[in-house]
Amino acid sequence: MPESFLVIDDSKLLHQMYRLIFSQGDLAGSTVHYAANGREGYAVLAAHPELTLVLLDLNMPEMNGLEVLARRQAEHLHPHVPVALVTTEGSEEDEARGRAVGAWDYLRKPFQPSDIQALVRRARELRRSRGAA
Amino acid sequence: MTAGENPFGDLLQDYIVECLPLAEQVGDAFVELERSWQSGEPGDDLLTTVKGRLHTIKGNSAMMGIAPARDIAHALEDACGFLGRSPDACTADAAALLIAGGGLLVELVGGASPELDPASATAFVERVRAYLTAAPGAATAGSDRRQTERRGPRSDEGEAAGNTVRIDFRRLDAMLEVLGEGLIQHSSLVELYRRLLRKVGAGVELEELDQTVLSLQKTLTRLESTLMEARLLPVSTVLGRFPRLVRDVAHAEGKKVRLEVSGGETALDKAVLDRLGEPLLHLVSNAVAHGLEHPEERTRAGKPAEGHIRLRAASVSGRVIIRVSDDGRGLDEEAIRAKAESLGLDVRNVDIAQLHNLVFVSGLSTAERVTTLSGRGLGLDVAANVIHALGGTIEVESRKGQGTAFTLSLPVTLAIVRSLIVEVDRERYAVPLSHVAETVRAEPEAIRQINNQGVTQWRGDLIHVADAGAVLGTPESSRGLRPFYVVMTAGAKRRGLLVDRLIGHQDIVVKGLDPALGRPTVVSGTTILGDGRVACILDVVRILDGVAHVN
Repeated sequence: MPESFLVIDDSKLLHQMYRLIFSQGDLAGSTVHYAANGREGYAVLAAHPELTLVLLDLNMPEMNGLEVLARRQAEHLHPHVPVALVTTEGSEEDEARGRAVGAWDYLRKPFQPSDIQALVRRARELRRSRGAA
Repeated sequence: MTAGENPFGDLLQDYIVECLPLAEQVGDAFVELERSWQSGEPGDDLLTTVKGRLHTIKGNSAMMGIAPARDIAHALEDACGFLGRSPDACTADAAALLIAGGGLLVELVGGASPELDPASATAFVERVRAYLTAAPGAATAGSDRRQTERRGPRSDEGEAAGNTVRIDFRRLDAMLEVLGEGLIQHSSLVELYRRLLRKVGAGVELEELDQTVLSLQKTLTRLESTLMEARLLPVSTVLGRFPRLVRDVAHAEGKKVRLEVSGGETALDKAVLDRLGEPLLHLVSNAVAHGLEHPEERTRAGKPAEGHIRLRAASVSGRVIIRVSDDGRGLDEEAIRAKAESLGLDVRNVDIAQLHNLVFVSGLSTAERVTTLSGRGLGLDVAANVIHALGGTIEVESRKGQGTAFTLSLPVTLAIVRSLIVEVDRERYAVPLSHVAETVRAEPEAIRQINNQGVTQWRGDLIHVADAGAVLGTPESSRGLRPFYVVMTAGAKRRGLLVDRLIGHQDIVVKGLDPALGRPTVVSGTTILGDGRVACILDVVRILDGVAHVN
């Protein structure tokens, strides 16, 4: 079964960048869901417990990344799905708050395709270790 | 980041499309912020919104490796953060700093490319840094916070190279000339093919030749569009400087003005853009200086004290439309009428729209007072001439007490123009196809003479039909009715032009006229045709205007 991912970002440019990254190497052929704001992203997450990794932008109108994480924590929604918070320089305080509401890791802009690939590898390891446990 | 190309370099256009409107909104918001501060409001909501947009621009610019845009966005974000915490620092100087930065950001994002000079942001970033350390309250409010200086040395500054090379625009022009020669040679091939076909009749080899010539045409067309795309720049490179200009003019004139700019991502040939700056500058400063009323006058008229100017660009079916509108007092019809009469024009029977468009007639600018800013440079007639010379049109609409709008329609490029080639008294002329509505066989009984002018029915309307020889002033224009007429249009105007022969359609590479020769009224340039002959390109807009003046 092909892997699936979720990208929550209000920037169409970022969607295209992810599209590029998820079409390369061993990520090619995986299913990627795209959401344009936190509200929409939360709904997609709720419908897809099988996600390997969620990439969640911090700054968004209509429910930002922190709000998505906080709500997920409060509602215990698929806690096994790792969510990486995507931040930009200057968001360090928000990163600390992200950790408190269950962010699994951070991806800092500017990132490279290899950063996403590394993140995916770690998410797979996490899944395998949980499957083994 | 590794040195070398940015993995997302192909998304540059997407970056501009997404970030330029954001940058424009930031620029507009800074101008608005200045007005809020002047009236004693903190403008906190504005600051918050702006910070969000700057953060997005910073992140996206960083992703694309556009370091100067990232740095300006970052510096402005820091400045906004500081100003949000320090109401005392919200001074006119701070506003000026933000507005300058907003203008720079629009320019950098609109003109973004990987090889943007990495240092183009340095001076401004330094200015912000100096400001943040010296501003009132900076020592206390700033000390507990990260400021610009916390950013360490950059490792990714030198990675500019990438897939893009910087090229002198003149080399693009040179390439275009070569393409023009290719187009001419293609036309020769087509003619040769036809002659061969007539001489030896159809055959397999000729069929193959036909196919080859056809695919050559397709290749040339592809080359043409690629070359054209390389010449396009976003309109924002010109529009970006207007927020500051408007602010300065408004200040000098004692007006309150809000400027709204949109459509900056619309693309235009650099050659068009380069010549568009002056007329647009004139229209915009004119709108502030003469279009808008003083705040007291506006309040008396029941309008908001603050005037509103809109600058909008959009692509509409192969042309670029730019509209400059204000909500001011509107054109002074009586003044135009009086001035026109004093110039000897008969304006008894013209309708309001025609009367308004007289502002483009030389000597008819109605502003009574010459102000420092709008009095500088050119008048409306000169602005209109520049637009016409670009193959564009300019029209004005106005309603008394409600405002004035100038609408410019411009060709996306000047370099290659698809044209109808016609023959008049054995000379060939090119009529840009964008101005050709139809070609019609001239039946003597369908063209009547009224007041010494030919008139015919065309698509249910009566239109004037003029002899091309008379319009062009060719020596032997005394013969009878020529067999065809071309219906030419520009804006709402249209006329028939009687010609001897219709030769066909052709992409022509435009060569300008030598300015030293002065400007003939009915010809806008020259070109070389397939057979090597030189042909004049008809200036349809001027011909239509000229014929109109005879009325």
